Amino acid sequence: MGIAISNLSVRYGAETVISGLSLDIPQGCFFTLLGPSGCGKTTLLRTIAGFAPASGGQIRFGGRDVTELPPHKRAIGMVFQDYALFPDKTVADNVAYGLRARGEKGEGVERKVKAALERVGLGHLLSRHPAALSGGQRQRVALARALVIKPTVLLMDEPLSNLDAKLRVQIRETIIELQREANITTVFVTHDQEEALSMSDLIGVMNKGKVEQLGTPQQIYATPRTGYVADFVGAANRTDVAVRSTSPGLVEFEVAGNRLLATDALEGPAEHGLLVLRPEDLKISSAPVAGLQSLPATIRGRQYLGARTSYSVECAGGLVLNAELHGAGHDAFLPGASVHLGFDPAAARVIRS
Amino acid sequence: MNPSLLRSPWPWFSALALALLGVFVVYPLLYIFTASFFGDGGSGWVQLMHDGRSLAAIGNTLVLACVVTLCSTLIGVPLAYVSARFRFRGKLLITLLPLITLVIPEVVTAQTWLMILGNNGLITRFLKGHGIFLPSFYGWFGLITSMSFIYYTYVYIGTVAAIGKFDAQLEEAAQSLGTAPVRSRFHVMLPVIRPAILASALLVFTMVVGNFAISTILGHNVPLLSVAIYQAAVAEGASNLTMQSTLASTSVLIVMGLLFVNRRIIARGRYEIVQGRGAKPQPLKGGQGVLVSAAAGVVVAISLLPLVTIAVGAFTVSRGPVMRWGEWTLDNMARVFITAPGPLVNSILFAGIATLISVAFSTLVSYLVVKKPNLVTPLIDYVAAIPLALSGTVLGVGLLASFNGGFLSLTGTSTIIVLAYVIRRMPFGMRNGQAILHNIPNSIEEASISLGSPPFRTFLRVVLPMMLPAVASAAILTWTTTVSELSASLLVYSGGRETLPIQIFRLIDSGLMAYASAYGLVLVAVILLPVVIATTVFKVDLFGSK
Repeated sequence: MGIAISNLSVRYGAETVISGLSLDIPQGCFFTLLGPSGCGKTTLLRTIAGFAPASGGQIRFGGRDVTELPPHKRAIGMVFQDYALFPDKTVADNVAYGLRARGEKGEGVERKVKAALERVGLGHLLSRHPAALSGGQRQRVALARALVIKPTVLLMDEPLSNLDAKLRVQIRETIIELQREANITTVFVTHDQEEALSMSDLIGVMNKGKVEQLGTPQQIYATPRTGYVADFVGAANRTDVAVRSTSPGLVEFEVAGNRLLATDALEGPAEHGLLVLRPEDLKISSAPVAGLQSLPATIRGRQYLGARTSYSVECAGGLVLNAELHGAGHDAFLPGASVHLGFDPAAARVIRS
Repeated sequence: MNPSLLRSPWPWFSALALALLGVFVVYPLLYIFTASFFGDGGSGWVQLMHDGRSLAAIGNTLVLACVVTLCSTLIGVPLAYVSARFRFRGKLLITLLPLITLVIPEVVTAQTWLMILGNNGLITRFLKGHGIFLPSFYGWFGLITSMSFIYYTYVYIGTVAAIGKFDAQLEEAAQSLGTAPVRSRFHVMLPVIRPAILASALLVFTMVVGNFAISTILGHNVPLLSVAIYQAAVAEGASNLTMQSTLASTSVLIVMGLLFVNRRIIARGRYEIVQGRGAKPQPLKGGQGVLVSAAAGVVVAISLLPLVTIAVGAFTVSRGPVMRWGEWTLDNMARVFITAPGPLVNSILFAGIATLISVAFSTLVSYLVVKKPNLVTPLIDYVAAIPLALSGTVLGVGLLASFNGGFLSLTGTSTIIVLAYVIRRMPFGMRNGQAILHNIPNSIEEASISLGSPPFRTFLRVVLPMMLPAVASAAILTWTTTVSELSASLLVYSGGRETLPIQIFRLIDSGLMAYASAYGLVLVAVILLPVVIATTVFKVDLFGSK
């Protein structure tokens, strides 16, 4: 079942956390709410679950209005950041809990529990207590517990943030596999852009209680529509520029005395805009490169990061940009060196500021 | 309010809890306050100003409280310091101190002091035989001695906890900056543990103000507040409602003032309590070790004295008030179990029921306050803490006056005794319940609800099992303090409903110490039995969760 949210607002006392939010999440979609803490993403998830009451608007699961439905009747599966396993119950009883709450009994429950735990690779830990499990195992149990009841939607609140980096990558894969297998509409909350980009079908980048941009991971990364999205997802050089002229698809702008071209993402006429340039789209060379716009520049700082090197480069007119080089010789330039900084107009975008 | 909220059971439970607290806590308190202003013969407060004996009682109580607080602190703090920082012979005994105060009811302690130092006391008579005459134990001497040797344990417990939490690195830092060890301890540790010492000293102060058992048994010619309230309430002929209400209100105001000061101290001290690596106890050897062991040994011996005395007294032949030490008998015990078993049965019955009600109520209410806050839950939390400011005597007076006829007549029933028990001990259950609930993350409950379990079933299936160990220890602590309750039940009980402490009190009053010892010994056993079973059989951590 898909999730349709229309004109939703959530208030805590006098504070409006979410106002007039509308969102359509298609059936089977892995949808990620991405944003920093305090942006309202967890509140939105909890409103979908029914734990935070909506002050206005509507939430529908596959056409059915659930706005006024208490959470235990919404048939959701939920996975929490702190696992929220019942500490006094065994792994098997934890997973069986939702089935029993639905009145299921006997062998059927046992069989489903065993299958669900085997699916996450924990078939041998049925009689353990949560305290005797590792963090990764706990999160797998939580996942099995949420999915065994065949919920209509799966809601996950930063489920990976308590795990260490390697484990996080592993469990990411488990989650994706299970989600595809069950073909279940999933809302995943995270502040980690890498998780969002690698796991999602669709991402909603949230800011101050609003979805700032909605799109596929590629759209969000390659064509951010606001400075906020550009900055939050991946690193970006962001500079205010003056728009000089536009031709179809291209915009000519001026910054620090340089006149340059970039892709026009202004969405209408404007006098000023924001130039967004990813560090990896900037090339450093000792002579101008054919086919790229080029600026004479000086290396100011340098951080060697193994597979790549990050440079701070000062262009003519005092404009400072970050550039990142990969591949052979990426660490070749030293501070103080005079270089040329080049970029393809197709890789640079000027958006509405 | 959101209409979907009213469909959940919690607002209804909140309303019910508030209603019950309103009837049984707020109403009696208001009744007393009102009665103190509007009585026959004008305002009680005006009468009070012209009543020399009552004014003396208030003054004496405050003086007594100051002296006992000082003595308790002087005993408790050094004892806590040596036992937290050093290892020496007999240290284990000191760590058992909390248990000792827990199991020995004040009425029994007072009795044993009398058996040893009273007019017919063991030591008194022995010394008299050698021509040495001790000052009478009745009055200031006895009050201060016996109270100090009970209440220092509260200072001890509070201080030990604070020293345990004190970060020894602070001390090391002071030493690394060039301060000598003793000086650094004084300069660095004392300010950090001072709030804890002050808070426990204030607790002692309030307990002395509210103390009834020792005050009335040993007070004699020293008028004291709680005794004056009791006497005004049970005075033969016409009990003086106005005066008893005025005196009770005075007691409430004193205790509330102290609780307010206590809150200020805790609020101010909060930043000072640094959680850190506690220091490892250092062994004490040689002369120092012997000295500390001896001093600690004396304190512990005095604390243990009541237990030994009643154990011996319970099996000693007596003729009226005269104990024939050295002659043994089982008659006293036979009386407790066979001839007059009423008090034993009543105590078990009333305290058992009260414990069940109190624990159930405080568990549910602390759940509401912590996990389901709404507009009224802060009020519930506040009202449920009011009994902390009521001494047993005040509560007894309040219940007696409020439910004597009128819309709810409870005088002369067993219900009013159970009610008094429940109200007096509920705040402790609440505190315990809230502490454990703060440690259960909300996500656990939400996980259960998200899996399709409705809110109330979630409480029963998920939250309650997690609370169970704490609830069990709360139940046991409630039981121990309820079985030994005297001051409130003494006011509200009626003939045939005597409990063990009441019976002991009456026997002491008649000077029948051997019988009193037998009932006392049984009372201690009744208190101790669940504690022993819980800690050994069920491995309930009674003292860790406090």
